[in-house]
Amino acid sequence: MNVPDEARLMLVESATRLFTDHVDQKMLDAAKHDGWSQKLWQVLEQAELPRVSIPEELGGAGGTLSDAAAVLRVAGRYCAPVPLAETGMLAGWMLACSGLAVPRGPLAVGPVHDETLTARKDGGRWIISGKLARVPWARMAGRLVLLARDGDRDLVASVDPAQCKITPGRNLDDEPRDEVVLEDVVLPDADAAPAGAGVTREMLCYRGALARSIAMAGALERALELSVAYAQQRVQFGRKIGQFQAIQQELARFAGEVAAAVAAALSTAGVLERHAVGKAGHEDVMLAVATAKIRVAQAAHEGALIAHQVHGAIGVTDEYALHHSTLRLWAWREEFGNEAKWAMALGRAIHARGAGELWATLTKN
Amino acid sequence: MFFENVDFSGLELPPAALRLREEVRAFLKAEVAAGTFIPHLGHTEFDADFTRRVAERGWIGMTWPRAYGGQERSYLERFVVTEEMLAAAAPCAAHWFGDRQTGPSLLRYGSEHLKNKYLPVIARGECYFALGMSEPNSGSDLASVRTRAERVPGGWRVTGQKVWTSWAHKAHAFFVLCRTVPDIGKRHDGLSQLIVELDAPGVTVRPIRFMNGHHHFNEVFLDNVFIPDDMVVGEAGQGWKQITSELAFERSGPERYMTTFALLVELTRRLGQAPDERAQEMVGRLTARLWTLRRMSLAIALTLEPASADGGAIDLATEAALVKDMGTFYEREITDAARLLTVVEPTPDATDSFERYLAETIVFAPISTIRGGTTQVLRTLIARRLLGSLK
Repeated sequence: MNVPDEARLMLVESATRLFTDHVDQKMLDAAKHDGWSQKLWQVLEQAELPRVSIPEELGGAGGTLSDAAAVLRVAGRYCAPVPLAETGMLAGWMLACSGLAVPRGPLAVGPVHDETLTARKDGGRWIISGKLARVPWARMAGRLVLLARDGDRDLVASVDPAQCKITPGRNLDDEPRDEVVLEDVVLPDADAAPAGAGVTREMLCYRGALARSIAMAGALERALELSVAYAQQRVQFGRKIGQFQAIQQELARFAGEVAAAVAAALSTAGVLERHAVGKAGHEDVMLAVATAKIRVAQAAHEGALIAHQVHGAIGVTDEYALHHSTLRLWAWREEFGNEAKWAMALGRAIHARGAGELWATLTKN
Repeated sequence: MFFENVDFSGLELPPAALRLREEVRAFLKAEVAAGTFIPHLGHTEFDADFTRRVAERGWIGMTWPRAYGGQERSYLERFVVTEEMLAAAAPCAAHWFGDRQTGPSLLRYGSEHLKNKYLPVIARGECYFALGMSEPNSGSDLASVRTRAERVPGGWRVTGQKVWTSWAHKAHAFFVLCRTVPDIGKRHDGLSQLIVELDAPGVTVRPIRFMNGHHHFNEVFLDNVFIPDDMVVGEAGQGWKQITSELAFERSGPERYMTTFALLVELTRRLGQAPDERAQEMVGRLTARLWTLRRMSLAIALTLEPASADGGAIDLATEAALVKDMGTFYEREITDAARLLTVVEPTPDATDSFERYLAETIVFAPISTIRGGTTQVLRTLIARRLLGSLK
């Protein structure tokens, strides 16, 4: 039997209850204006949800990456306007792996693009400089957890945002994507550490792509739920539109895309988990992450369009909930590499290994 | 909504399955090296000798009880054997239906007599089954079959016509879905499954050739064929329930997304180690889709595993329909990529595998979205699960 353990099911159930109780259309509309929902964040923090996968000795709940993925899927379903993935799966992971405490409060992470931050040692402190584009949630974060380059090694730095110049930016659904400039920011030695085992720019990108894939799978589930509910009640030509085979066929296609997105994203979380304990290789991780981002982005493309088509014109208005899901899908698919970028990387790797290795590559655990 | 209770993150093959994979690969490598079969795509060839060699390894009916010639191995191990056979485009037609359909149906519904009569010989690779479902006027609407069985002392007299019966000209027997009680409105009632031996008096098999001349389809005429009582599978009148209960396995297997896989391998070979970005991107996309489909298929096999004993604790029939729908479209994407990334005209008798595979997959492409439930029927089924019954 291949079913999630009891603890995971309970975690998903309590997360679902919490989001159901605290996320509604009014709140999402307000978050568009405020950039996030501080109230929701506080509730999540009380429930320890941002720290699900942080080890207990570092102040987390000691769960697995798949536990965090399960929560993130629910958060994506509810369009939760909070830095959940950034705090736990990304920044929290970087800190915990590098032996640094994971502070309470929302965390942001960088770089999420191709920029490089430089770090240099100056006596008992660090000096960090650089410019980062579109950092998610930077202006809400209690700390910015950054990967900086010190010669030939990486440094994990926990930076006070007040020391940076932050220029607000936003994505399609007004989630904060801010420019962050560090001009010789001075950091006490205690707030930085050499990047721990496995913490690299590449792995940050992998985990970021995974986090977005999981949240997108959740957002797709919501878009499908809304579309089904709409087809069940909207009447045209004297019949519920769900009774028309043309609509049924589209919804069925949509369901396939959603199922594939969920399968790709959650399977990938499992591969990363096995990688962390030496049961999956680096190339397995690359294959899985690339697959997740490619497949989920394809599903987002198809799914969002079907969702809007089923809804008709009401779906494109700001008073109807669908746009919170679809705008996020269209924004998130570009983050941490879009499907074209990942497909080229994956194709390149497949070809470099050679045709004779393709099947063996696909059937590794 | 779908895969509600399936743990994708824990999808990992146990060591026994991984060892088995190496055994199957070594076996197939040796077969290819010895030139015992020529791989064909789009359909699987009938090769009784190959089937007997597979049987010698214990890979037919491998999940069945030892008492009936099986090996009592897991569904996951069977999954591994199946996908390796597909990856190599091995000729599995002789044991395909017996292994996938006849065996599990007999184990679940068959009498002791039928189990003893057929399971060991199927597992030994000596008895081959076909499926008698469709009729000239019953394609997607299977419950409308008109082949009828009339009660006579000691058994039934069966009269009717079956079509699209793959390999009936080489099989020993086939499962026949027929009506044992006239249709009086409750159309799913009164259907039964019988086993008809293809050399029985009154059975006539005629070829229906595929558009490229290939012969695997047949029409089978049943003229007053006597079927003794002990050849009824399960309970007379319960045939519909019996065939629909096995759909999750039938529709979610690797054969729904891997029948053109060897073409993807040959395409990759032809493109070389450093193709242009367009080729890289397309191959990357195809790889991602395959990885995902395989995860879904694997999840179904793994989740259904223990349910086979208690009659299905988790219903994944809709998920299986999703896999088949997406898988069969995926197979065509490989064909299209192969066309578009190379300059080649599909040539059926080409000596180059890539060119021949391309020709085969193009010709057989239309059938994959028709057999085993058409795309449209599957999507109607999926929509019903989504929407419920709307009034």
